[in-house]
Amino acid sequence: MASEQPTSPAPEPGSETAPRTGAANLLELNGIEAGYGRAALVLRGLTVKVPPRTIVCLVGPNGAGKSTVLRVASGMLTPRAGEVLVDGVDVTRQGPQERLASGLAHVLQGHSVFPEMTVEENIRLGAYSVKDRALVAERTAFVKDLFPVVGERWTSLAGLLSGGQQKQVEFARSLMVDPKVVLLDEPSMGLDPKTTAAVFEQIVTMRDAGTAVLLVEQNARRALETADIGCVLDLGRLHITGPAADLLADPELSALYLGGRPHERT
Amino acid sequence: MSLFVQSLILGILLGGLYALLASGLTLYFGVMRVVQIAHSAFLILAAYLAWFFATRTGLDALLSLVITVPLFFVVGVGLQRLLITRLKPATLTMMSVLLTFAIALIIEGMLGFVFTGVQRRIHFSYGSASVPLFGAEVPVVKLVAFALAVLALGALWLILKKTGFGQALRATIQNKEAAQLVGINTDRVASYGFGLGLATAAVGGTALAMDATIYPSLHWHWIGPLMAIIVVGGLGSVPGAAIAAMVLGISQSLLQIPLGTTWAQTVFYVALFVTLMVRPQGFFGGRLAQRF
Ligand SMILES: Nc1ncnc2c1ncn2[C@@H]1O[C@H](COP(=O)(O)OP(=O)(O)O)[C@@H](O)[C@H]1O
Ligand SMILES: [Mg+2]
Repeated sequence: MASEQPTSPAPEPGSETAPRTGAANLLELNGIEAGYGRAALVLRGLTVKVPPRTIVCLVGPNGAGKSTVLRVASGMLTPRAGEVLVDGVDVTRQGPQERLASGLAHVLQGHSVFPEMTVEENIRLGAYSVKDRALVAERTAFVKDLFPVVGERWTSLAGLLSGGQQKQVEFARSLMVDPKVVLLDEPSMGLDPKTTAAVFEQIVTMRDAGTAVLLVEQNARRALETADIGCVLDLGRLHITGPAADLLADPELSALYLGGRPHERT
Repeated sequence: MSLFVQSLILGILLGGLYALLASGLTLYFGVMRVVQIAHSAFLILAAYLAWFFATRTGLDALLSLVITVPLFFVVGVGLQRLLITRLKPATLTMMSVLLTFAIALIIEGMLGFVFTGVQRRIHFSYGSASVPLFGAEVPVVKLVAFALAVLALGALWLILKKTGFGQALRATIQNKEAAQLVGINTDRVASYGFGLGLATAAVGGTALAMDATIYPSLHWHWIGPLMAIIVVGGLGSVPGAAIAAMVLGISQSLLQIPLGTTWAQTVFYVALFVTLMVRPQGFFGGRLAQRF
């Protein structure tokens, strides 16, 4: 899978993000060691690769360091060792603003809309770093098309939307910069099963629209059913990685990490 | 009845002034979780600068705003960059109380040193004039101070709602990490936010001094009521602070009829106690305040 040639379309004219160079992976985290302050390392030599047009799902128990992986990817946390490559370019030393321009968008765990602003203001803030008005209009039309709820609730305060609707606004906001890779931190957290299913469908839609996805989930079984590639994070390293379907089928993995037999609800 | 109308009108004018004085205080907390004890000291500093300007130039003291507003903005940005950013995030709120307490003492000391402890009053050409309004006699200085408050709060509203900087500032208040992730430089926004808060103190202090005698330690008299207003309004919410200021200003003015000025002042502390007991997140900040 990782050696597959990219099939991404040529960048749209006027796009402000750098054109794709054709590297095998849009995002690579290589040998990452990271932690907080003087506490013990959370990540100890982690390597993850995200090819184009692929949903890569990282699963692991609460506190395993899943959110930390995304923080390192989006530049909110600087790793002690290792490198971050976006489309073959080393971005390890870049801060969050530059990473955004490099093509990484991060959707945080929990609610991260700006609750006292309208959906419109939220979406426009997604393009805060984009100066080209025509491009902003084009992206706005694109995300409204992809997430109908955005257009329907355009003038509502984002904080008044349901959890699932807020997630869609967050997804839409992250796509305003036309990222190469979106980093999704537990998008199903706090949602009921029906809404969760809808949110996972939206993730597939995002991939099909041309964005690679690095997804992090506790709801492992459901996430692996959606993902193309699965990775299991344990003790700060990748325990195993492979096609998501293979991970799901592995009885030992199921017992250890996916909460029991295939048809049990997690 | 006419006493009631008179008190009501004065209460509204007072409420408008309180709203302006409290707006900066709630802004600092909203953007940075900073409790800015020195806010009222900066109000008094602005009042002294207006007085000094008027006595030296013979011009209307309001013209001093042309100097003090930009000056305070720059000082605010500097304070934030040089001092506030040095506080550890984990203990920022607590330590900011100590830090700004020290700043308040320094300002008070400087004012005493430069201008002595003598009580001062700004002289306006229309200082003793009053106009009839709904059967009540209202001093012109109070009306001008209110107009100043309305203008300044209107400008603040426009900045927060209609400019790119205002959007970034509100986004930073509402969710700092998410703001960083859409590409907002939240550190720069925070320092400009601090500057904006201090700029409101320049206008507020001048408005305050239109109808008050000033002296260096006057700020201690103001910080309590202003803190009460922003807690009742919901910490960090500018509209919440404005509504709370109006309600408390009118209540204070009306309570002066039966209770007299000294006891009417306690309305702030009663409101503070009630708020902390039944609705610690404040009455008007609501959802926004809960996010802190
Ligand atoms: N801001 C932080 N400061 C200190 N430790 C943290 C911080 N965030 C997370 N941690 C610690 O890092 C470890 C991994 O956390 P996290 O990446 O959030 O896990 P997950 O997302 O898999 O639940 C946990 O032990 C957690 O306590
Ligand atoms: Mg997490």
